[in-house]
Amino acid sequence: MITTRHPRLLHAGQYAALACYMIFLAIPLLWLLSVSFKGPRELVELHPSFIPSRPTLDNYNIALHENDLVHAGVNSLKVAVLTALVTTGVGLPAAYVLARTRGLVARAGLVWILLSQMFPTILIIIPLFLVLRDLHLTNSHTGLILVYLVWALPFILWMLQSYIRGIPRDLEEAAAVDGATRLQIVVRVIAPLLAPGVVVTLLFAFISAWNEFFFALVLLQSPGLVTLPVKLAQFVGIEGIVRLGPLAAASLLATVPSLLFFSIMQRWLTSGLLSGAVKG
Amino acid sequence: MRKRLSIALAALACAALAASAGSAQTGKRHASVTLNFMTYVWQPTTVTATKQIVAAWNASHPSIQVNEIQIDPNTVHDYLVTNFAGGTAPDIVHDEAADLAGFTKQGYLADIRTLRSATLKQSIPKRVWDAVTYGGKITAVPTLLQTYNVFANVDALKAGGIKLPTIKNPWTWTQFRAAAKKLTKNGAFGVGWGLKSPVSVSMSMALNFGGSFFYKQGGSWVVKVGKGETQYLETVHDMIWKDGSIDPAGVGLSGGSVLPAFFAGKYAMTVQGNYAAQQMILEAPSGFRWALLPLLKGTSQDQMADPQTYSITSQSSHKKEAMQFLTYLANAQNMQKLAQGDWLIPSNPIAGKKLIRSTKHYGSWTVAVSSLPALSPHPLNYLTNYPQFKSQIATPALQAYFQNKSSIADLSTALTSGWLSVNK
Repeated sequence: MITTRHPRLLHAGQYAALACYMIFLAIPLLWLLSVSFKGPRELVELHPSFIPSRPTLDNYNIALHENDLVHAGVNSLKVAVLTALVTTGVGLPAAYVLARTRGLVARAGLVWILLSQMFPTILIIIPLFLVLRDLHLTNSHTGLILVYLVWALPFILWMLQSYIRGIPRDLEEAAAVDGATRLQIVVRVIAPLLAPGVVVTLLFAFISAWNEFFFALVLLQSPGLVTLPVKLAQFVGIEGIVRLGPLAAASLLATVPSLLFFSIMQRWLTSGLLSGAVKG
Repeated sequence: MRKRLSIALAALACAALAASAGSAQTGKRHASVTLNFMTYVWQPTTVTATKQIVAAWNASHPSIQVNEIQIDPNTVHDYLVTNFAGGTAPDIVHDEAADLAGFTKQGYLADIRTLRSATLKQSIPKRVWDAVTYGGKITAVPTLLQTYNVFANVDALKAGGIKLPTIKNPWTWTQFRAAAKKLTKNGAFGVGWGLKSPVSVSMSMALNFGGSFFYKQGGSWVVKVGKGETQYLETVHDMIWKDGSIDPAGVGLSGGSVLPAFFAGKYAMTVQGNYAAQQMILEAPSGFRWALLPLLKGTSQDQMADPQTYSITSQSSHKKEAMQFLTYLANAQNMQKLAQGDWLIPSNPIAGKKLIRSTKHYGSWTVAVSSLPALSPHPLNYLTNYPQFKSQIATPALQAYFQNKSSIADLSTALTSGWLSVNK
């Protein structure tokens, strides 16, 4: 235990530093909130104020009703949730093989995972589009989810295989002695111990898919299929003319589902981290 | 707890899968022909006007239905490149003339000379049709045009004892420069000019002095910074760095970003695309009096005709039906609605007259519509590699010049050699 002569001073200092950091993080969000309640005339004031002088709900009306934001949000939610689930479902057994297999194949697989992270999106978008077109998967959420799965999988494999390496082999050997098959070992022994890793995977895959813009822009054409990032881009006009108020309102609404998702998953993340910390 | 989590996740997945089963293309009706119409309209008024036009067409043409696809205006080129390459281009695409040369050369756009009606042909001046004619082929219907104008704070000019120009007596560049200098005082600048995207405005306004940057030499196009180009460039540069009448801080900003300072009285004037009038109406403080001034005059008032365009793609299986819709879209009444929403000049003069009669912003619209005769095709409309030259060479070179980081000689070298490099 760390002891100090002035514990109260230290605690006060720590809380003050934490408060400053939180304010630093919160200011952009609070400013976004402020902008979302300002009308167009107030938004172009040379010396803007933090608190709207003439608050209005017009921006939210425009975002929700004129620009069909809810529909785009549902599309994003669907794509992000399915991407998270499928990526985790595919990634977990694959990461197990990479973590537990020794040899050239495993090493080559890990190197390939690292190399694939170096490809910029712009380099592969046209060949990817052509492949998906031949499979009749353009302009569909199925095609988009497939792309997100492939795009997120390398990082998730890398992350999960390092988690799995941290689990002692003794547990698997003990289960094998008790007659468990390989699949039962993965599902009943490895997976429960990987709760924090699985939660992080789900969060990463969800956030990546939720925020992704370029693939959605290129692959989706029907207005009814567009996701939130593409819908938000429609608030930006030419030569720097932006509909700031509706964009702020839409952006704020767009953060709500991911905040809810985080708050739900956070419990399992922290409980998984702490489990087994205290013996007996 | 783990069991509950698993059940919750499984239920969510089932719901999502069930919803995704119905994720087929929306907006399809049972029609003999469905046209996909891509548009990049973004002003709320124009978005509404376009939806109304499409809805009216669909109601009156049950056998030819139009499915509107709205995209972000800043991604039009990338969208078209990808969809043309992938063979999934919509039937009708909305773009601008300066972007079409490459697509026409690659055969992605249909030649509409045999498809367009005589009525449509005659409703738009030949000069504007020439802006969308590539090697004899006409691959678009030109609709809305823009100009670059000076917007003035009427009260600031009045207080400074400066008389506003009129259509018959427009300002010359010399008069504009003198007015800007006179209005630069007490911490305020005569002009706020967002020059973050300097290429289009420079290509257009250099024509005031006869400078077009691109010239035919020995069968190929070359870039030259000659007398006309230099006169425009040096005038703007010297207004920033010698007269001090254009705010240097605005040089790195976009056009829209200088508007707050203009409304606050920090700038007496601002140079913008004429479509910025829509922002003036929406955002100017109540009581703020602004005016759209007539085109500045050098040796002429000429500016570039770079109209918005609607093209039929070669991949379309319904070119005749697409042309029918475009003819309807480009009629005087609809052109008036689209122009009014975007504050752009309709290529159809009758639409312009209708607009002036119907609007309460009579003065500014009269100035805008009166600019149509000054618009003429620019060589860049016909250059395949112009989009690449604009983004990779001309934009950084002009930004450096207007930020006083390079000389006119450096700029000339950068542009001429840069053009050669993109055409290798």
